[in-house]
Parts: sequence; C-alpha cells; structure tokens
Amino acid sequence: MVLKSDEKIINLIVCGVGGQGLITLARIIGITAVKKNIKVLMSEIHGMAQRGGQVVVHIRIGKPESPLIPHGGADVIIGLELIETYRNLEYAHSNSIIIVNNRIIRPAIPKVKLPREEEILEAINATNVKLIVIDALENARKAGIPIAENMVMLGALMATEILQEYITISDIEEVITEVFPENLARKNIKALRFGYETAKQFKI
Amino acid sequence: MFRGVLAPPGTHVLLLGNEAIARGAIEAGIGFAAAYPGTPSTEIIETLGRVAGKLGIYVEWSTNEKVAFEAAYGAAISNVRSLVAMKHVGLNVAADPLMSSAYTGVRVGFVIVSADDPSMWSSQNEQDNRYYGLHAFIPVFEAYNPAEAKEVVKFAFDFSEKHKHPVIFRSTTRLSHSRGPVTLGEIPKIKSKGEYIKDAGEFTLIPQVSRKLRVKLLEKWSKIREDVNNVPFNRIEDYGSKNLIIASGMAYGYVKDALKSLKLNDQINILKIATPVPIPEKIVLKALENIEKVLIVEEIEPIVENEVKRIAFENNLNLEIHGKDYVPKRGELTIDNVANAILKFMKKENLSLPWKPLEITRKIEIPRRPPTLCPGCPHRAMFYALKKAVSKKKINPIYCGDIGCYSLGALPPFKAQDCLIEMGGSIGLANGLAHTTNQTPIAIMGDSTFFHACIPGLINAIYNDAPTLVLVLDNRTTAMTGHQPHPGTGIKVTGEKTAIIYPEKIAEGIGIKHVDVIDPYNLNESIDKIEKAIDYVVNQRKIAAIIVRRACALLISAMARRRELRSPKYQVMTEECKACGICYNLFGCPAITPKPDGKAEIIQEQCIGCSVCAQLCPFNAIKMIEKGSKGWDELWF
Repeated sequence: MVLKSDEKIINLIVCGVGGQGLITLARIIGITAVKKNIKVLMSEIHGMAQRGGQVVVHIRIGKPESPLIPHGGADVIIGLELIETYRNLEYAHSNSIIIVNNRIIRPAIPKVKLPREEEILEAINATNVKLIVIDALENARKAGIPIAENMVMLGALMATEILQEYITISDIEEVITEVFPENLARKNIKALRFGYETAKQFKI
Repeated sequence: MFRGVLAPPGTHVLLLGNEAIARGAIEAGIGFAAAYPGTPSTEIIETLGRVAGKLGIYVEWSTNEKVAFEAAYGAAISNVRSLVAMKHVGLNVAADPLMSSAYTGVRVGFVIVSADDPSMWSSQNEQDNRYYGLHAFIPVFEAYNPAEAKEVVKFAFDFSEKHKHPVIFRSTTRLSHSRGPVTLGEIPKIKSKGEYIKDAGEFTLIPQVSRKLRVKLLEKWSKIREDVNNVPFNRIEDYGSKNLIIASGMAYGYVKDALKSLKLNDQINILKIATPVPIPEKIVLKALENIEKVLIVEEIEPIVENEVKRIAFENNLNLEIHGKDYVPKRGELTIDNVANAILKFMKKENLSLPWKPLEITRKIEIPRRPPTLCPGCPHRAMFYALKKAVSKKKINPIYCGDIGCYSLGALPPFKAQDCLIEMGGSIGLANGLAHTTNQTPIAIMGDSTFFHACIPGLINAIYNDAPTLVLVLDNRTTAMTGHQPHPGTGIKVTGEKTAIIYPEKIAEGIGIKHVDVIDPYNLNESIDKIEKAIDYVVNQRKIAAIIVRRACALLISAMARRRELRSPKYQVMTEECKACGICYNLFGCPAITPKPDGKAEIIQEQCIGCSVCAQLCPFNAIKMIEKGSKGWDELWF
C-alpha cells in the first residue's frame, strides 16, 4: 500500500454521549482516508459507553504507529455535547481548534446539578483556543434529519481546512454516498453542508 | 454499509481490529469458529457469522466460553482449522479444556483469541492472559495494529498446525477496538469437513495417558521455544545504541510514537516482541549484545520483563534492566505514560513532555456520566417493581447481581446489585447467602447469562434447599455486548432459525414449584406477582423463579425505525404535574427531564412509548397523546 511519508500527524478527538453517532462520524473520516491511501489509526470505547455514557474517539491521520492521542495532543476537539467537551479539554493545547455543539444532555443521575451552557463556553473562550460554536441539532433539523448532528459537526470540521492536505469535503461526500442508502445519503450530505457553511462564518 | 471484510484481495480497507482478526482467520482457511459474546471480543464472531454462509465456514454463538472452546477444539482434532474467541475472563470459564488441550495437542491449526481489557473499560478485572500461556504451555502471539493482527493471526494458524499445538492470540481492547488500514490477502479454499481419526488414545486423558503426554508436552515446548525465534514479527531495530527498549504487542506502537515525539527516534535500539510466551530467547540475546541498559514496555504484568531478567541472569549479563519500575502496572499504556517511562530510562527527567495540555483558570464542576439503562428499558421497570414489592413486604433482601445491562441497577436510583462478581454469580452466591444469613437472596440474572452459567447454580439451590427469589430478566437478546442471539431467541449467529429454549420450562423441569412469567411494562401486575413470589420464598423456605419477559427497548426501537413504525407518544400535562420528581429521579428515565420549575418534560426524540412513567405517576399527569402505528405492539413479541 502506498503511503505518503513523513507528513505531520493530525490528531482529532471526537467526544460526546453514546448514541450521538460519534463512531459513524469517525468511520467516515477513516474510510475516506484509507480510500485516498492515507494512513489512519483510530480508536473508540465500546461496551458500556453505548448506554448513554461518555464516548471518546481518537483519530490520528498521517503516519501514526499507535491509536491514542496524548493529553495536550489534539489539534481539533469535535465536541457533540458541552459537558463532554469540557471534560475532554485536557486533550487540547493552546492552539487547538474546538468545534462544539451548543447543547447539554442531562446525565440520568437523580438530582444531578448541571452547569449552564454559557458558563462552559465562557471558560473555553477565556483560553486561547479557536472556538467554533455550532447549533448542530438546529442544522440537522433543517436538513430534515434531526439525528444527523454528527454530519453537521463533520461539515464544520471540514470548514476548518485542517485536513485539506489529506481530504476534502467532496471526498467525504463521496464516501457518504457509498455507505448510506440514497435517501439517507442525500439528507446527511445536506446536514454536512449546513455544518460546513455555518462554521465558515467563524474567523479562526 | 461499511462492509470491508470481503472486499477483493489486494484492496486495502479500514477494518476494526476484531474484523482484521476475523479476516486473518479467513485467510488461514478456517472451517469452524465459535464464541460467547464478551467485550472487547464480540465483533470477531459477528464478522465471521455474517460471511459464514458465503464462505462455507461453520460459525456459532455457543452457550458459554467452555462450550465454545470444546466445540472449536473438537473441530481442530477432526482436521478442520478452527478459532475460538472470548474476552479475557471468558478464558477462566474455558480454563479446564484449555489446560487439557496443551496435553493432547491438536491435528490442525487451532487459535484461541483472548481479548484482554487493560483499564477495565467493560470488565470486572484486568487479568493478563499471557499468564495462561505460561501456565498451560501454550504459545501467545500479540500484534500492535489491525494490519499486523491480520497477518499474525494467519501466521498463528500455520504455527499451530506445524507444532500440532493450540496457540493463543492475545488482543486487548485497544487493538480489538482500533480501526486502521488493512490490505486484504487471498482466501484459500475453505475446509469445513474433516474426519476424527481414532488412534492410540492420544485424546483420552486418563492418568496413564496424561503422564506420557506430560513428557511429550515438555519436549514439544522446547521445540516451540526454539521456533519462536523464527517468527518474523519478532524483530530487532538496531541503531547502534547502548540502550534497548523491548516492546511487546501494542506497546511497540506507543514506543515508536513516543520516541518520535521526544526526538529520540533512531537513537535507541528496539526489540519488537510478538511472542511474549515463550520468549524468543535467541533474538533477545542478540538484541542484548553491546547493550548496557534495557527498558521493557508491556501492558499490565511484567511477563517479558521477568523473562529478560532470567535470560540476563543465566547468561551472566551485567545489565541495568527497567520495566514495571517505570511503566505503569495498571491500566492501558498511552503515548504519554510510555514517553514518561522513556524519559526516566534515559535519565532525562528534567525534560518535560512535548505536549502542553490547555490551562483553564475557571474550573466548572461537571457531573459524571455513568452508562445508564436506556429509555424504555424493561430492566428499569423491573427494578422499580422489585423495589416497590420489597418495601411493601418489608423483607431484608440481598440483591445478588450478575453480568449484563442490568448490572447498571447497581447505580442510583435503584442500587440493587449488592454483590456482583462474574457470570452466573447471582444464583451462585445466593447458594451461600441463603444458608448463612436470615436475609432473602434475590438472584437477578439475564437471559443469556441464565443459559451461560446459572443453570447448575439453580439446580444446586433446589437440591440443597436455598430459599431464593430468582429473577430471569429475559429481554430476548444478549444486550450488553450489542444484541447477539442466544438459545432463548430461536436464532443462530447466521440469522437461521432454530429451537427456542424457555427459561421457565427449565425452571419447572428441574423442580421449582413457584414459576411465573411477568411483563415489566405492566407495572401493578409485576409488583403483585413479585410480592406473591416473595411470600412463597419467605413462608415455604423454597426457591421461586420469575421470568421477566420484555424485549430490549434498544433492539425494538431500532426495528421500529427500520420499518417506519411510530411509537405511542406520551406527554406530561403541566397543570397536573406536581414536580414530585418520581419519574426522573426515582424511576430515572433519561427521556424525562426536569424543567426549571421541577415539573417533568418528556424528550420526544428519546421516548420509546413504554408507558411505565404514565403508570407510576401518582398524579396521573402523564398521558398518551398519540397512539403508536399499527404493528408497533407486535414488534415486542
């Protein structure tokens, strides 16, 4: 297999709550990379995390030998939920891009105390990271497929151009067309495009 | 979607580690595979099950790991290459045939996949199954990414066949659940039929045979110890350094990446180990030539480290050897903790790691997010009914738990898994507790768990009069590992239909006099029947069994989506809601959330229309506002 050599490794963390489609998001990036002969390693937590627990997926593109990203090693954090994004900030460094879905999902703990959305966003904003805030649910609804928050977030990632050396949004669209049935693919691509357009408005 | 395992030879596809292991076995020409589901091993057999018909491989979900092991071993002594897969603790269940298989050996390639779980992402312990290799005299192979896993598994079959001996392939969560590019090879002709040739009783382990085989085993072991030096996945990377890092399995990738990040790549020699058991001694000795200092990096136990220390001692090598003094002994390895170990090893502790985690000045307290029973989960309804019945009967229960989604009943709001140690432990522990306490053991087990390891315990409880309330939570699937069929479902791994075995018939058949079947979505009837069973156990001092039958909500809601059937819609009537919080705090359904005034609200996207909250609301504030589609109710049965 032909691999590009000696490129910088790009590290992406995708985090959120089980059931939000994080693994699908990551697999689409992975399949696209492999299709283009780019080495990728990714890892995810299965099992109990699927039952509404926290999920973190590590994606490493370039020439990785191992699948996990060190703390302070993520170039981008794609957070599908605010609490989980805050929890995983240890993976970020001061130049990271953080793309966050502006939404809190309440953990099913009796009498749980929740932080406020603005509180989390302010805390992230007080650092030097490049922050992109997306209302993924609203965009996904607009695309006619409310569960496709993951595709909105993937579109937002593509808007940052961090992967442009390796893969483009049209590569991603091609893979979405291949892996989903036609009707779903169309809606997913629409959600992807909405995410892309929304994120493009942020100057980072 | 996403199917890559059967892409044409020569293409490269993104595969999950477990899919790569399955593909390696296919490329080795296996004709038989068996397993019991267990994270992180499950997708190996799922993958093989999907392609079984097409390739002509016999694949099955067995009732437990011991049976799976024996079945696959049976194949391998009748000249059919076979694979058995299980999670690490599953090998404890299969340890009996494992030990014997080394004595008899096999006739063709036989690979045992053990998927260990460092960091215990979904397990009760962190045991390192490479020890089983040392214990049983069975070689252990490891790999560091999906691409290598495919090649190593394929190689392991040839190695096994060459020595007529079983081989363990040890995966870990991080290998089994990583994805990476894999280049597919050719698929040979599959042989799924052989013959059992009867000869000198070499498979009959009576003492006089075993004594002879023990001698043979030790001879075989010395040949295997020699031959692991020829395994191509063991290799030295020589940069002319006086320092050496030895990395086993997944550790190799972390070492490579950590060295690169520390800008020490190509400056320290590396010995990559793919056969930690037995250690490739000649390669180790070669790697140790001109070396002054060694660091051994491996996950969990110091197995390679102990061997290297032995080799150094026996060969009078004056070396500084480090391992678990620098590398964590618990939890998974990561680039960071390996990099830290390397800095200590190189005496560069003054240097800091190249990654600087973000500093946040404003600390916000965020809640934990433990996994939880899904919206509409029948287990939640069951736990609610059970706790109600127990408090009405004022008994002092011991909730004896077991392994499955219902283990989550250990957490608030139910806290109803007082002791929970392993598969089958619910009724097992009740057999002791019933005799030694004046409390009432309540053994809570799942359907798949019932078939796996609960039946002998149940028979024991009848035989030895252990008054216990047995609850079999029959959600028609092995839910926790991702919905595998089991003997109660009437479906095989390939999707073919088969006989359905009913737990209530088994309970009646072994002599339990009080057997009942309840639907947990029918709350009042469930409470009532559990109360009656408690009365029976307490008054008659005998065992009672209730089968709590309702299909897994996750499974059915996915099915409803595929068939475009709408579930009934429920709504909280704001005026009638008194903000008591029973539905979202005591019942704890994640589809119900409190509004700022404490009144409840149903999140429509998450609600699956089970109706249980409407039944338990003391103010009748939750009402059905729209019926489900025709055919929705029938999906559940």
